[in-house]
Amino acid sequence: MEGLVLGFMYALIALGYTMVYGVLEFINFAHSEIFIIGAFVGVEVLLLLQASGDLAAWQPVLLVLFVLAGGMLLSGLSALGLERIAYRPLRGAPRLVPLISAIGASFFLQDFIRLVESLWRNTFYLTYPTIGFLEKPIPLATNLDVPVKSFLVIATALAMLLGLYFLVNRTRMGTAIRAVAQDPETAALMGINVNRMIGLTFFVGGAMGGAAGVLFGLHYSLINPYSGFIPGLKAFTAAVLGGIGNLPGAVLGGLVLGLMEAMAASYLSIFTGGTFGAEYKDVFAFAVLILILIFRPRGLMGEAVREGA
Amino acid sequence: MKTAWTLAVLAYVILTSLLARRFPQSVLALLAFEASLLVVYLAPLARRTRMLLAALVCVFLLPWLGVANPYFLEIAIQVGIFAALALGLNIVVGLAGLLNLGFVAFYAIGAYLWAIFGSPQANAFLAGGYFPLGPGWFFPFLVLAIAVGGCTGLMLGLPVLRVRGDYLAIVTLGFAEVVRALLNNLDKPINFTNGPRGITPIERPALFFAPALELLGVRVDAGVLYPLYFYFIVLLLVCAIVVVTRRLEESAVGRAWKAIREDEIAAACMGVPVVRMKLLAFAVGAAFASAIGTVFAAKQVFINPESFTFMESIGVLAMVIVGGMGSVAGALFGATALTILNLQLLKGLSLWLNSVRQSGRVISLPFLGDYDLSQIPAQFEPAKYERMVFGLILILMMIFRPEGLLTPRKKRADGRAAAGN
Amino acid sequence: MEEPLLEIEGLTKRFGGLVALSDVHLRLRSRTIAALIGPNGAGKTTLFNILAGLYRPDHGEIRFGGRSLVGLKPHEIVAAGVARTFQNIRLFGHMTALENVLIGMHAHLDEGFWDIVARRRAFSRAESESEARAIELIRRVGLDGQERRAARELSYGEQRRLELARALAAKPRLLLLDEPTAGMSSAESHSLMRLLQELVQDSVETLFIIEHNMRMVLGIAETVAVLDYGQKIAEGSPDEIVNHPRVIEAYLGRREWKPYA
Repeated sequence: MEGLVLGFMYALIALGYTMVYGVLEFINFAHSEIFIIGAFVGVEVLLLLQASGDLAAWQPVLLVLFVLAGGMLLSGLSALGLERIAYRPLRGAPRLVPLISAIGASFFLQDFIRLVESLWRNTFYLTYPTIGFLEKPIPLATNLDVPVKSFLVIATALAMLLGLYFLVNRTRMGTAIRAVAQDPETAALMGINVNRMIGLTFFVGGAMGGAAGVLFGLHYSLINPYSGFIPGLKAFTAAVLGGIGNLPGAVLGGLVLGLMEAMAASYLSIFTGGTFGAEYKDVFAFAVLILILIFRPRGLMGEAVREGA
Repeated sequence: MKTAWTLAVLAYVILTSLLARRFPQSVLALLAFEASLLVVYLAPLARRTRMLLAALVCVFLLPWLGVANPYFLEIAIQVGIFAALALGLNIVVGLAGLLNLGFVAFYAIGAYLWAIFGSPQANAFLAGGYFPLGPGWFFPFLVLAIAVGGCTGLMLGLPVLRVRGDYLAIVTLGFAEVVRALLNNLDKPINFTNGPRGITPIERPALFFAPALELLGVRVDAGVLYPLYFYFIVLLLVCAIVVVTRRLEESAVGRAWKAIREDEIAAACMGVPVVRMKLLAFAVGAAFASAIGTVFAAKQVFINPESFTFMESIGVLAMVIVGGMGSVAGALFGATALTILNLQLLKGLSLWLNSVRQSGRVISLPFLGDYDLSQIPAQFEPAKYERMVFGLILILMMIFRPEGLLTPRKKRADGRAAAGN
Repeated sequence: MEEPLLEIEGLTKRFGGLVALSDVHLRLRSRTIAALIGPNGAGKTTLFNILAGLYRPDHGEIRFGGRSLVGLKPHEIVAAGVARTFQNIRLFGHMTALENVLIGMHAHLDEGFWDIVARRRAFSRAESESEARAIELIRRVGLDGQERRAARELSYGEQRRLELARALAAKPRLLLLDEPTAGMSSAESHSLMRLLQELVQDSVETLFIIEHNMRMVLGIAETVAVLDYGQKIAEGSPDEIVNHPRVIEAYLGRREWKPYA
């Protein structure tokens, strides 16, 4: 169960990496911070409601939807702004140039969030207020109680994924995005506003990340500006695992990685007779990342790419 | 004309060093002195004069100031350590064009190599109580670290260099995180690294010259002796690295690296064994980082995994980029500028803000009304926002000056020659 | 018949569903200039890329001086004696002309790592000898005095000639030239033709040239092979090729819808 929750979370974040990569062939290194911005928006909304005493009055489902919408909007806008400021001027530069800029953006945003929160609340370690409804256990089987929040993560993630699938495959906008991903120049000739579509890709990817951020916060409660980095790296692993640029692949990769990680966390110590415990689950995830990148960079579902000479 | 320049630069160097000696607390005086190497580099001087002046600054003036103000030596040592790292990364990123985001891992390997055997730590897994090894073992371990670093670089490079540029960045980042996780967790089942608690006390190198000093009748205060000693070790190491880098740069190997950076496929088609050359770049860079790691461990006496985070890798990358990728002088400049920015300016600004805060003065701002300075939030400390500063530097450099602030001398000379034709 | 320098047998290469080369056979003798022509997309550059080791063929065999080249790395192929130029000039733009030519010598430049670091005499000698030879090559292609200029600052025609010098630096027995006169004025291509003819006399055994400029092909090539849709449709002397019905069809048959081919 824990694995599924993790998996859907990774899947949502991985979509942001994979969408941007699909269109620009560029690793948006700062996506992990876009994700954590969502988590911070969520906590701020909830804390403000708590301070005004309205938190208990809200219907829990509406509350969650409202918080999610807030996180998605702000994360999406941040991603949009990031693209405008740090990436767009570098389009067409050698591959490593925008990547370095993205790394810079990632670092900048981490401390920027810290700065804002420090000035505003005088601390940057924040805790989500408890919402009683989300903690309610649902008995799935004997000895297995799963809190509502775990279902919430899975349900929301599924809804988002369906929505995104619909957007990309069934709307004119989605067709335009796919056209830009295939061949930006031809798409421009066909009258598609390439810049707008790239911006849109960032917005949608960022919003997915933001939603994941809110869910992350609701599920694990404790957040700080640096807690996006590791999940971000793992989500990138998931995106590569599924074949970068491939949307269903990102979801599959996220689920596979989440399940593997949860298994590693619980069984590693059993298999090794207690020698290696759960603290190696990060090592495990990175080892997967390294091995995948080296031996199967096209991922599980990636297509063969023809190399230009 | 040349003589006039020489005299002017000499005057600047001596004047600023006198100022810095006279006002040891003045940040500005220190900065002016620190800029003297840049002045020496930029002034139109003959190569020989330039070398002599640089030697004057590094070998005499700086230690002379450091004796008066050990903090100054501390900064110089830090600059030297980062310069060595930046020079190592410059070979990998700047010359061969391979973005290595896990460079700090090699630094960590060198540091832990000496930390484990140069402290009682190794007794935890090797019986016999031979450890710590004596101070005399430091220099053999420095050599060993070069070999171990180079081999680790080869071992990592062998599988990793098959992947494409941007993936390489992520793989190396993953590698560094794995190394750090291992350092954090290898305190059980067998205690190799002592985990997050770190290792201490680490032996410092032997003062083999102490009898000679005594013989000469020179007496140096013990509090200054070790910083001075480390300063000269770092200085020598950096000089050695510069010489090796320069020689490689001007050989078939350096040309092959640059060719790979410019166009890998064309390089292969011209007979450059691409994989072998990339491996060599990885190994040489790693060897430099590992060597300076041992010095770092000995200087700090205490190390733990927190010194080897991703932030360090990015800091070194920023140094290489600020100075200009692929240039030795650029790497030195970037390392100096950013270390000073980080250690002196940001910390200085933090201290200043603190004092302002404590003064409790109230200033009146136009339109905003009165502002009580003690109200500046305590969380607002520039020194804690190095990620923000370094991140901003990376973005701005990429957008406005991807070739670095210090354009290589050769390019300028070329430009002049081309303009003269 | 004497042993051919290059022997290609049954060479086939597919990219996904596209058959770029299909069962191509070809033999090149020593001391000749051979041309490879064909409409755009016929597979000419793919053939060069396979010869240079950038692609691995799906089927077929390539023998060069009696030795198989299939499966060798690009740099091993250079060391074996095959060098090339590129259709869309691929010089190392930020490096000087001299450095570009020195890169071409890499396969023959035996500089050990420790020789370099210690700056031993062996290194200094190798370096100065190769530099002298590089300058000689630069002079040979007519770029005297341009040694210290960055490659990207040279004019288009100069860049083509520098690329030739760089390829020559590898001391190839077989030199592959991909559209060497593209973008050159007729005076420039004329002097290049003369240079190529001299090269076959004294330094390169065989030249294999992809060319669209038919006057050049007819002027210097002794044999011509024609590719169309990845298949060799004709081979022979220039006169035979010009009158070959399938060649005429391949070129003229498309004129209606691809006038610039």
